[in-house]
Amino acid sequence: MGKFILRRAAQALLVIIGATLLVFLANFAFGDPFGSTGDRQVPPAIAAANRAAFGLDQPLPLQYLTYMGNLFTGDLGVDYNQNRPVIELLIETVPNTARLALVAIVIDIFIGVTAGIIAAVKRYSFADVLVTVVSTLAIGIPTFVIGFVLVATLSGVGPFPTVPRSFTVEVPWYTEVLLPAFALAIVDAAFVARLMRGSMLEVLRSDYIRTARAKGLSERKVIGKHALRNSMIPVITYIGVSLGGLLGGAIITEGIFQYPGVGYLLFRAIGGNNAPVITAVVIFSVLAIVVLSLIVDILYAYLDPRIRLS
Amino acid sequence: MTRSKAGLTAVAMTAVVGLVLTGCAQQSNQGVPGGDAAAQPAVGFPETEDFPETPGKPGGVFRLGISEPTAIDPFNAQESEGIGVTEALFTGLVQVEPDGTVVPGAATDWLANADCSVWTFNLAQGATFHNGEPVDAASFKRGWERAAAPESGSEVSYHLDVIQGYTEYQAGTATEITGVNATNPAQIVVTLAKPDCEYELRTNHPVYSPVPTVVGATTDTAYTDAPIGNGPFKLDGPWQHDTGIKLARFDEYSLGEPAYLDGAEFTILPSANAAQLEYDGFVNGQFDWARMPPTLLKLARETYEPQGKWLSKIANGMNYLTVAGTKAPMDSADARKAVSLAIDRNAIVQGVLQGSTTPASSLVPSLFPDAYQKDVCGACRYDVEEAKRLAASAGLVPGTELSFQFNTGGGHEEWTAAVRQQLETNLGLKVSYTGLPFTDLLNNEGAPEATGIFRSAWGADYPTPGNFLIPLLATSSIGATPTEPVTGNNYGRYSNPEFDELVLKASASQDEAERNELWKQAEKIAIGDDQALIPLWVRQQFRLVATDKFANTNMNFNENPTLETITLK
Repeated sequence: MGKFILRRAAQALLVIIGATLLVFLANFAFGDPFGSTGDRQVPPAIAAANRAAFGLDQPLPLQYLTYMGNLFTGDLGVDYNQNRPVIELLIETVPNTARLALVAIVIDIFIGVTAGIIAAVKRYSFADVLVTVVSTLAIGIPTFVIGFVLVATLSGVGPFPTVPRSFTVEVPWYTEVLLPAFALAIVDAAFVARLMRGSMLEVLRSDYIRTARAKGLSERKVIGKHALRNSMIPVITYIGVSLGGLLGGAIITEGIFQYPGVGYLLFRAIGGNNAPVITAVVIFSVLAIVVLSLIVDILYAYLDPRIRLS
Repeated sequence: MTRSKAGLTAVAMTAVVGLVLTGCAQQSNQGVPGGDAAAQPAVGFPETEDFPETPGKPGGVFRLGISEPTAIDPFNAQESEGIGVTEALFTGLVQVEPDGTVVPGAATDWLANADCSVWTFNLAQGATFHNGEPVDAASFKRGWERAAAPESGSEVSYHLDVIQGYTEYQAGTATEITGVNATNPAQIVVTLAKPDCEYELRTNHPVYSPVPTVVGATTDTAYTDAPIGNGPFKLDGPWQHDTGIKLARFDEYSLGEPAYLDGAEFTILPSANAAQLEYDGFVNGQFDWARMPPTLLKLARETYEPQGKWLSKIANGMNYLTVAGTKAPMDSADARKAVSLAIDRNAIVQGVLQGSTTPASSLVPSLFPDAYQKDVCGACRYDVEEAKRLAASAGLVPGTELSFQFNTGGGHEEWTAAVRQQLETNLGLKVSYTGLPFTDLLNNEGAPEATGIFRSAWGADYPTPGNFLIPLLATSSIGATPTEPVTGNNYGRYSNPEFDELVLKASASQDEAERNELWKQAEKIAIGDDQALIPLWVRQQFRLVATDKFANTNMNFNENPTLETITLK
């Protein structure tokens, strides 16, 4: 197992180097990332500080090294608008996004796995048809539509805070996180339900399940213990990648709900052509996905010994 | 110098379809002799009356959404949002009423010498900063020098550049601005390098604010996020970037009535969709003052005008076409008038712009009622026959190539396309039509070889017609020889000694009525006779106001709510 983790970690490192190289090339190799402005002039002092921090006067390979060095020390440059270190902005927003992502995933798993199991176990029943129809519908509706509908109908109702609202109106985090998490979870839950149904059906046909049943195990144990574990493998892969994506910030959903996370930070930064923030958030998103995939792979190996042994 | 690149934000495609239809309808009418303004239907949304002054109760917190300001410290407050907060925190020497009249601020009275080169402001006694420190002449000098210091990086300190000694101080070769004398604490004497009989208007800009002795450096964000002012409101906690700004009434305010409001809350919204969010926040009761996207104007008006919550005002600004009038084919007044006459402003305003503004017939907007001359631009109407006649006499024959450049990303694509189509249809011109980034547009406009027409907009920094006429049309505002790029704002390189003399005389006149008369004469020459530029439509602003909760809520010169007068209903 240790060897496997080591091997996967090395691969992840390569991916990170490749990804940062791409982001670096996209942002730095073509022109001056700190010269572009939105509606405003970048104060010369800030532009100069950014250029110096990123070593823009050096040749490209050296720039990349400086940039990687900066990444490791957490020096991501200075934000145009606020004249604050970008790392501070990330530190402020990442926990909010993590909270949102986790709540979304919990809703996602709860709805998706439950619906998938019911659909598989009671195949061709009314419940199964219902799950199929509803999940098709949910996959078909874009997340932003769900977001807008939720804002229009539920924000300001009961515990859900209004959007937008005056910044002095304080709301408990769990009321703020629910609607955007739900909007994010719906499409994912539909995918999870379908994956779960498919893989559960496959597992239920396998020999060891027949054996388990023949041994006289209760149906509850057969499904809950023997079938579930194996049929979770594709679902976990999906959820892991999906969590990585959510941790990187859900730009549209966070934007719609004005949820103070990484996605909203990026949304604002793009609006203001705030290159240092855009660069930092994009790199953060890449890291989130790579690290999450690594974790998924390790979990995968834990669930299915064949993978780590091959 | 406020040159704006943004106009109206994105307008739905349906509007373009609408324009094409309107355009056709208008063209079928072209046989009818044009020019009768009264016969044309009123276009755009009419202005609303100021909300009546009503006695109200103190208290209440006024809430609104804004975009992230550049600064709320006066040394660098610049756009409407930043100035809106800064002018609540600081009271300068004079104040400007919503209609442009000047009233005392920190100065009780002021006087210029005969040639307007030395200005004496007498300061009100007993006024203090929010920290209790008295406001005296030195506080003003300190504030001005702080902004003008080379290391401040201020983008607005040029408003101080008429003061003697500013240049040396800014260059770092002097230790003080010699033109500012603050030896008498109750009086500040300003010597100007460029005499200006309207100088007091300049001092309304926040960069002229006083600062206390405990002021922080302009690089100290802990201070610049929580500046200490002398205005009717003080900060209630520092500026929370990208989140909000909270103000509380300054109870010891003595430069006028203390505010009635307990406070104000500015919620910072992402600039990309701020107008939409302001509107949403107004609808759901979170904000008491809101802008709205152009596409929602009609709906918003229909909903809120009957409730008395709709505010529509012609504001400080003008949209126009800069004309490279020194180069063919636009080098004659007739050619410029022909182009102007061939543009159907009403159809564009009603179609593409969805009625969100009002066609212009002058350069100086109606914001200045004493200098406003409706229809001074005789060619600012739609008359294809006259346009063709003038074009023929000016050699602007069908097939002539005309360059038309505009900046992308400011929502100008649709209406410039409509203008292009009208020029091609009505005059048979071959319009080469280019959209490019704003800075490139300015570079092209200012280049010595520039020809044709350019999209432009202008807003005055000080409430005077002169701030339209002089920067845009005076010879001195070209700032370059014919072979050099323009350095001022007179991109059309208009130069007429008669005009120059009139505006110079106006700037040197102490008598307001005489000054307005001279402004009028100057505009008559530059716009009426020479058509140095082509006015299109005015800057018009719309707001939704929670008049059910608050009274005396009007819009000031900087397009912000008049926080100091608002009362609870």
